[in-house]
Amino acid sequence: MANMAVSRIKREFKEVMRSEEIVQCSIKIELVNDSWTELRGEIAGPPDTPYEGGKFVLEIKVPETYPFNPPKVRFITRIWHPNISSVTGAICLDILKDNWAAAMTLRTVLLSLQALLAAAEPDDPQDAVVAYQFKDKHELFLMTAKHWTNAYAGGPHTFPDCDSKIQRLKDMGIEEHDARAVLSKENWNLEKATECLFS
Amino acid sequence: MESDIEMELESDNDGEYDDDYDYYNTGEDCDVERLDPKRADPEYFEYDCLTVEDIEKLLNELVEKLNTILQITPSLAKVLLLEHQWNNTVVVEKYRQDANALLVTARIKPPTSSADAASTSAAAAAQLLKMGSSGYKAPPAVGGNANTPPYRSQMCPVCASSQLGDKFYSLACGHSFCKDCWTMYFETQIFQGISIQIGCMAPMCNVRVPEDLVLTLVTRPVMRDKYQQFAFKDYVKSHPELRFCPGPNCQIIVQSSEISAKRAICKVCRTGFCFKCGMDYHAPTDCQVIKKWLTKCADDSETANYISAHTKDCPKCHICIEKNGGCNHMQCFNCKHDFCWMCLGDWKTHGSEYYECSRYKDNPNIANESVHVQAREALKKYLHYYERWENHSKSLKLEQQTIERLRQRINTKVMNGSGTWIDWQYLFNAAGLLAKCRYTLQYTYPYAYYMEAGSRKNLFEYQQAQLEAEIENLSWKIERAETTDLGDLENQMDIAEKRRTTLLKDFFPVAV
Ligand SMILES: [Zn+2]
Ligand SMILES: [Zn+2]
Ligand SMILES: [Zn+2]
Ligand SMILES: [Zn+2]
Ligand SMILES: [Zn+2]
Ligand SMILES: [Zn+2]
Repeated sequence: MANMAVSRIKREFKEVMRSEEIVQCSIKIELVNDSWTELRGEIAGPPDTPYEGGKFVLEIKVPETYPFNPPKVRFITRIWHPNISSVTGAICLDILKDNWAAAMTLRTVLLSLQALLAAAEPDDPQDAVVAYQFKDKHELFLMTAKHWTNAYAGGPHTFPDCDSKIQRLKDMGIEEHDARAVLSKENWNLEKATECLFS
Repeated sequence: MESDIEMELESDNDGEYDDDYDYYNTGEDCDVERLDPKRADPEYFEYDCLTVEDIEKLLNELVEKLNTILQITPSLAKVLLLEHQWNNTVVVEKYRQDANALLVTARIKPPTSSADAASTSAAAAAQLLKMGSSGYKAPPAVGGNANTPPYRSQMCPVCASSQLGDKFYSLACGHSFCKDCWTMYFETQIFQGISIQIGCMAPMCNVRVPEDLVLTLVTRPVMRDKYQQFAFKDYVKSHPELRFCPGPNCQIIVQSSEISAKRAICKVCRTGFCFKCGMDYHAPTDCQVIKKWLTKCADDSETANYISAHTKDCPKCHICIEKNGGCNHMQCFNCKHDFCWMCLGDWKTHGSEYYECSRYKDNPNIANESVHVQAREALKKYLHYYERWENHSKSLKLEQQTIERLRQRINTKVMNGSGTWIDWQYLFNAAGLLAKCRYTLQYTYPYAYYMEAGSRKNLFEYQQAQLEAEIENLSWKIERAETTDLGDLENQMDIAEKRRTTLLKDFFPVAV
């Protein structure tokens, strides 16, 4: 890997470690291997959002041409958000694409992702299904996002109604995550979810 | 294998139907039309085929002119011209009105903060315009005494290394980065095909990097060449009067001050294209409509696939007939029945003025039908036009093969002493004219498809039908060329071309 990329990542690693946010436990970063090409990030769900109380793990891949090209970042923790794919964790965020600038850092990226969790952009969606729910059935969106935060990121809110519907599908032999995904997509309409699974 | 004489004839023939050819422009055309080609020929188009060097010279002249007026570096002048369709007058006008705004919109300068007074920003703009490539370097500290070196050590935010100030470069935004970082950054951008759009490395800063800084710092010849090639492409694309020839590997750039959907033919590779949109020439249809049509055809290619059959059954004796010529007037080899390949109707009715094969008959009661019926009707309508569009395109190719066969037959005749190549030349003229007419006819179908029903559409389809009938007559006569009377053929050519120009004059939307 190019020298510049390594030296930059090393320095940024230190920057994040020393940052104020790490003291407040709001962002975290750790190494995955010795080559500095892959890192693991973590952001806390921002307060007053459905993601509050959850910890979200990110996969960060550093290209050879870093910092002149952006790092490749993806959510490993499953999340229900209009700009993040509920299937792959792929992110739609301008600074990770055309608006990346070489003087940006991993800390900027993590903080921008945290800001994205606080302020979604449903008009520039990565996940069309989620974006539709966000715009059209916002209450249902908030519940689904909180439920996913609880199920995958350790968030505090539980929804017994959701759990029992998932259980019904599990009883029919459906995997728990598949059941949750299809119910979320069908606005927690059990009948429609069943139809979608078995037709 | 073609002999030399054939090659020569072929190239002659090519030239014959260029814009200045006026074979058909005789007889009843009045004198005014003859004097003014713009009025006589709806497809008349003036343009030049220029080389890369010609264009470089042309652009450089514009840059130099702006340099002299505004006293700015060539690379800033290029940015300003690029952003204003290479219109010097507009740039100078905008500069005189509000230099600051001009520089901000061209991304030479960052947006001015509200604290900046308009007068000082204009002064700053004036100063900025004078800066050369040395202007990207920070000036040495002023007022320092003998103990302080002229440059202090500074930290580069990209590579995080500490270096002396003279290793740093910045744009008008003041964001300063070390030389190595800028260079590496430029090379990564150039590698991705980005040239004049390269921006500052600072977050949220959209100030553009001018050409001179890139070329000062990037020294690898491969990278410099790439940068200049990409930049040249962008300059040409931003100039409204210039078009790259779409021909494969052709370097020619076509220039015209008339920016319309007329046909330009590259003088080097002979590729013809629509000057406005760069696609295949498409008169009488306009650029948006042809784009819509081609997209639709690509989207619906599966539905339309079944029509591409080369065989149909004779409507009378039901024997299977293969189409191997371009003419749509078919004669069954078995029962000698004359019929139309498109609609399978009797050919006799096609010759009369009731010829309606090209016209699609709308269901008059369609508004009251169910959604299902309407959808089927819409598909039927599309297929009607698509089938004819596709069929004429195929006919064009088949007629090309007919000409080849004709060439061989004539070759044999000439060898046997029956006439000379000159005697047979008229046949190739006829074939060239046929191709030209059928090409226009093919492009009348997308036009008709998107036309709203009404008297204008009726007129269009009437003229289209007339053109189609004459084209098929011409094709029929050419296929039987050796037995057709010369005067008869020439008469048919004249009629077909008149029908074509009439239709274009009435419906080709670019008429001046
Ligand atoms: Zn640097
Ligand atoms: Zn900047
Ligand atoms: Zn060409
Ligand atoms: Zn066009
Ligand atoms: Zn027959
Ligand atoms: Zn017909």
